[in-house]
Amino acid sequence: MKYILLMTGTRAGVSTYQAWTRADADAHMAVLKSINKELTESGELVGVEGLAGPDQARLVRGLRGGMPVTDGIFPESKEFLLGYWMVDVNTPERALEIAGRISAAPGPGGVPTNMPIEVRQVMSHSTKPA
Amino acid sequence: MKYILMMNGTKANFAEYAKWSKKDMEANTAFMRTFSKQLKDEGVFVATEGLGWPEQAKLVRASKDGMPVTDGVFPESKEFLAGYWIIDVESPEQAYKIAARASAAPGRDGATGGLAIEVRQVLCGHSDLGL
Repeated sequence: MKYILLMTGTRAGVSTYQAWTRADADAHMAVLKSINKELTESGELVGVEGLAGPDQARLVRGLRGGMPVTDGIFPESKEFLLGYWMVDVNTPERALEIAGRISAAPGPGGVPTNMPIEVRQVMSHSTKPA
Repeated sequence: MKYILMMNGTKANFAEYAKWSKKDMEANTAFMRTFSKQLKDEGVFVATEGLGWPEQAKLVRASKDGMPVTDGVFPESKEFLAGYWIIDVESPEQAYKIAARASAAPGRDGATGGLAIEVRQVLCGHSDLGL
């Protein structure tokens, strides 16, 4: 069963993260990297990606004069996807457990962020190209 | 440059989609399949996935003893990721043009609804994340 673990944040949340000290950010990344390494070794990791910050986000709707109509205005409450892990696990509980470990990664002063991680099953066989 | 094109929707949007006729859904699925195939033929395709519905979404936070605490309660305004494409292109403009094509997917009664597609650059992958 494939699950995607989504890390999301508002612009305000991203600004807070950007204000972390270098040492705090390094400690956080070190834990995430060790989780990635472990999931690679267990064969459960399908993919992991980090996205550009919200300031570069654009909404695209249709075309006008052959050019895409883009818009970069979002409500303050907008939750932006910051990055994700995709895992292939035997049970939903295992996906939740991995999400819990990501949520426990250290934040400022080494205190766990307790950041909420959204867990969703991945369905899409139908949209895969032939 | 890798970009992710995301389709998002609230629970209300998903409920609306569930009411589409079988014919409308088939037309939409056929479009999505063709679109992914076109991206592959154009050499820009990296990945595409569709996610499970919002009713099955869980939020997980770590507890003090390391066990996951799960919660399935979201505000009505919450935008859920419905699915995405990742493409590898030469410029942001090319990513926006491809997003505009996705935005033209047929909707209810065949209308092309101007579906909003969120576009973001993908910055780091396996090699940056310790793999």
